Amino acid sequence: MSKRLLAAAMVAVLAVSGCGPGDDDGPRTLKLWHYEGPDSAMGVAWAEAIRQFEATHPGVKVAFEEKGFEQIQKTAPMVLNSSDAPDVMEYNKGNATAGLLSKQGLLTDISDEVTKRGWDKQMSAGIQTTARYDEKGVMGSGKWYGVPNYAEYVMVFYNKDMFAQQGISVPGTVEELTAAMDKFVAAGVTPLAVGGAEYPAHQIMYQLALSKANKQWVDRFQRYTGPVDFHDAAWMHGASTFADWVDKGYISKDSAGMKAEDMGVAFMQGKHPIMISGSWWYGRLAAGIKGFQWGSFLWPGLTAGSAGNMWVVPAGSKNKDLAYDFIAITMSPQIQDKLRDAGGVPLIDTGTPSTAAPQIKEVTDNFKTLSTQDRLAFYPDWPAPGYYDVQVSAVQKLITGTANPHQVMDELARPYQENLANVGR
Amino acid sequence: MRRHAVLWSVIVLAVVMLAPFVIVAMNALKSPTQYAAEGPLALPDGISLQGLADFWDRVDFGQKLLNSFVISGSVAVLAVVVSVLNAYALGIGRIRGRLWILIAFLVANTLPQEALVYPLYFLAKESGLYDTQLSVIIIFTIVQAAFGTYLLSSTFTGFPGELLEAARIDGANKWQALVRIVVPISRPTLGVLFVFFFIWTWNEFFLPLVLLISNDTQTVPVALGVLQGQRLMDATMTSASALLGVIPAIAFFLIFQHTLTRGITAGAVK
Repeated sequence: MSKRLLAAAMVAVLAVSGCGPGDDDGPRTLKLWHYEGPDSAMGVAWAEAIRQFEATHPGVKVAFEEKGFEQIQKTAPMVLNSSDAPDVMEYNKGNATAGLLSKQGLLTDISDEVTKRGWDKQMSAGIQTTARYDEKGVMGSGKWYGVPNYAEYVMVFYNKDMFAQQGISVPGTVEELTAAMDKFVAAGVTPLAVGGAEYPAHQIMYQLALSKANKQWVDRFQRYTGPVDFHDAAWMHGASTFADWVDKGYISKDSAGMKAEDMGVAFMQGKHPIMISGSWWYGRLAAGIKGFQWGSFLWPGLTAGSAGNMWVVPAGSKNKDLAYDFIAITMSPQIQDKLRDAGGVPLIDTGTPSTAAPQIKEVTDNFKTLSTQDRLAFYPDWPAPGYYDVQVSAVQKLITGTANPHQVMDELARPYQENLANVGR
Repeated sequence: MRRHAVLWSVIVLAVVMLAPFVIVAMNALKSPTQYAAEGPLALPDGISLQGLADFWDRVDFGQKLLNSFVISGSVAVLAVVVSVLNAYALGIGRIRGRLWILIAFLVANTLPQEALVYPLYFLAKESGLYDTQLSVIIIFTIVQAAFGTYLLSSTFTGFPGELLEAARIDGANKWQALVRIVVPISRPTLGVLFVFFFIWTWNEFFLPLVLLISNDTQTVPVALGVLQGQRLMDATMTSASALLGVIPAIAFFLIFQHTLTRGITAGAVK
């Protein structure tokens, strides 16, 4: 009896759930999606931007939904192709993501708006790269499809206390860094915290390759401006030095199975004095490190990094004018300062003194250096779709010693060359 | 001697099975500061419910629970009904070509969901059901009923023919034979199917992720995905969310586990 009742109730609920939300012509609504946590620098700054937007646009409500990164990655083409697309959303930069959507006609060409509002003047050339895509969906030239709002780059985080114990000063060159790591190995400490099961390992290998590369090399690899030889001096230096670092004990063999999270925790616990990873760690480190002094310095030379994820306006957006107004607010000095003080890397240097911790000033100053010297080299997993997993598994083999540098570079070359046809090269 | 060996291996197995839950529970109750300082394996200093509370508010977890319950409950009920009807025709009715029908059902069940995603997306979009729970309910009713049909058909094949014969002599038509004889006798099996369908649907991630895009239609597993960032994760809050996500399914199982055992003894052939 009760089971039948339950069944009836289920069917009734089912009928109700079938009715989707209707469209009503009341006050306007700006449908906004992003996937930054509420405590992250971007989350904090953009929450303030929403408040300012609502204050300056009476009668407009912002319908904000926080999304999971994975959901946006997996479903963006489908969502944007339906009538449920948001009016403005955060999206990943790069050929395989924003480039692909722009090629499919799912994003609005916002070039006119960018010049009208002067956003192009606010960004250096390196920062603009990831916002513009040509008709093949390749970044670096063509129309504007997005507006980045922050930046990110790879740096060397270090434990000041452990450096002081060994009497090591801040390394300025790769040679000095190697010498410092030798000292730690001699003292029985594995110097580098590495997460070999995720992005950190291949970013380190890319960093090493970059130390023998130049800007043209980066353009060839990332923007397909010329042939890429995966066995050239730079790549081979990257792969063999990485293997060498494992042999010398700078990188522990156990790190092959470690996630980025484990790497961060190991560094925060003071198990390793050095972590080579991105600015996205800043907030986490600032909140998590209690027992020691820490800081960061720039990797000498070209550095993995780029503008951060950006605002895109889906082609199906019903409130494009409002979307542009919202983007304009996030580009304003107040919001950029807010982002900076919450531990993010702002795109626009407002020059106002920061109230935040000295480490945060270090990050923004270092970014200014990178940006003005045009040293940003993007990320190694960008140039081909699905390249992230290839990179992770190939570099993992360098840690476990199951492949030599030549084999690893062969593994990286194959999907890259296959993808060239897709981008018409 | 042998009994001890069995006992010990069961204990070891239980520990191995429970260890992940214990670690998740430990981290769910740990403060982020302690997690950062001592790592995932340290015992919590005190009980910090902040992670649980924050997560609940951040994703409006009550709403997600309701959504998941509506979807899983509807699917479980509907899929059992559809399975019984199908299996009655295939297993007891022995209609022609039943083997091929069963194979077709099995294929539907074994196809990877990734392969089905685009067709299902277009169907849902064309029928105006994209981003509604109804689309997910219909899809999973069919997916689960395919398995249910397969399983029930084979049990119904062994259904005692004398009982049906007796009912027919007493003047029962086919519908009455199903409702009065077949369903009550196979209640334990149907109960098991119901529980499994519910839990399987509850844990489904990929299709709800693709089809339910608004936050207010999403299910619990999709909501858990919000915490996995692009490059960072919040370990304590992720543990908290995992704990919150798994509790309802376990609770449901335990509740029905009880009625299940009762159902089995009550349904024994008299």
